[in-house]
Amino acid sequence: MNIGKSMMLATVGFGLAAGIAYEAAAQVKPEVLVKQRKAAMTLIAKYIGPVGAMVQGKIPYDAAVVARNASFAEALSKMPWDGFETSTQNFKETRAKPEIYSNSAKFNAASDSMQTEIGKLAAAARSGDQNAVKAAFGGVGKTCKACHDDFRND
Amino acid sequence: MTTEQKMIAVRAWDAPVRVFHWLLILLLGFQVYSAKTGGQAMLWHLYGGYAVLTLILFRLLWGFAGGTHARFADFVAGPSAAWRFAKSLISPRSAYFIGHNPLGGWMVLAMLASLALQAITGLFANDDIATEGPLAVLISKKLSDQMTSLHHWNLWILAALAVLHVVAVFYHRLVKKEDLIQAMFTGVKRLPEEVVAASGTPRKASPWVALVVFAAANAAVFLLVKRPF
Repeated sequence: MNIGKSMMLATVGFGLAAGIAYEAAAQVKPEVLVKQRKAAMTLIAKYIGPVGAMVQGKIPYDAAVVARNASFAEALSKMPWDGFETSTQNFKETRAKPEIYSNSAKFNAASDSMQTEIGKLAAAARSGDQNAVKAAFGGVGKTCKACHDDFRND
Repeated sequence: MTTEQKMIAVRAWDAPVRVFHWLLILLLGFQVYSAKTGGQAMLWHLYGGYAVLTLILFRLLWGFAGGTHARFADFVAGPSAAWRFAKSLISPRSAYFIGHNPLGGWMVLAMLASLALQAITGLFANDDIATEGPLAVLISKKLSDQMTSLHHWNLWILAALAVLHVVAVFYHRLVKKEDLIQAMFTGVKRLPEEVVAASGTPRKASPWVALVVFAAANAAVFLLVKRPF
């Protein structure tokens, strides 16, 4: 391999690396971001829902399903938030209120609280303590509701 | 002058109407509280909703089977009668009614309609967390979301009607010197003798009919919520 050839390879390699880095930094389209956070929220509700029904005694309690669903929800609870970029502010098909961006401190606190409460639910579910799950579920419901009330349009 | 008129006591509201009225207020207070609390309280919000629906259904039936002044036929007046009464309200000498006056009758219908809408949309609503009305499974998520929106917006209509209702009651108290709040507790109004004499003998409500109607309302709501068929 001569010097010229390796120089060329290095240049191509560098260029590719730069290209990949550029791609990563490029903005994700607003509609994708909105879809992302809606999808995360939909999945959280999908997995939390049966836990709620069990806690409320509407369907029989199944500790294995509770543990699985709560751990899914715990991972999902981290996923909506980077979808709330300012680029989505003027996007029509969302019920997100402008306060998300004008009062971002409060919104961030709400998102932290949601992750904390779902984390508690997952911990309770892992412990297998049905009463702890019940108590933690109340906290999850309240944190969901508080944020919906403040930051989501009817 | 009103002071020259001989006032006599007359039974205006039968017991079912009074119990309905105060129970409804307590339940609505509980409904607002449980909805604002959220979390596990949503289960109780559903139960409260079934109770409100039962009361509304009872009152609608009682509007046909109740005592004279509980009946829709007694207090639903035409728009021109309501307008004439509205104009006369400016003077304290406006007409007296044992039951609802023509405007009050329309208010009753408006409140019942708004309450029914609230209870029915609630049956189909969901909170996007872990609670949904018992009939939400029958419809699409999109329609359920629209029902939820309606459930939220109608709350403000209901609140506005309630405020208007209370303002009207205080207007009667302060301007016409009629204590409607006490009448809703005791069932008795004190009205000029000739007003009472002109209205004839009122038809009394049967407590047995009330019981049957209440049982029917309960059964209907039970069947609607549980759908055993």
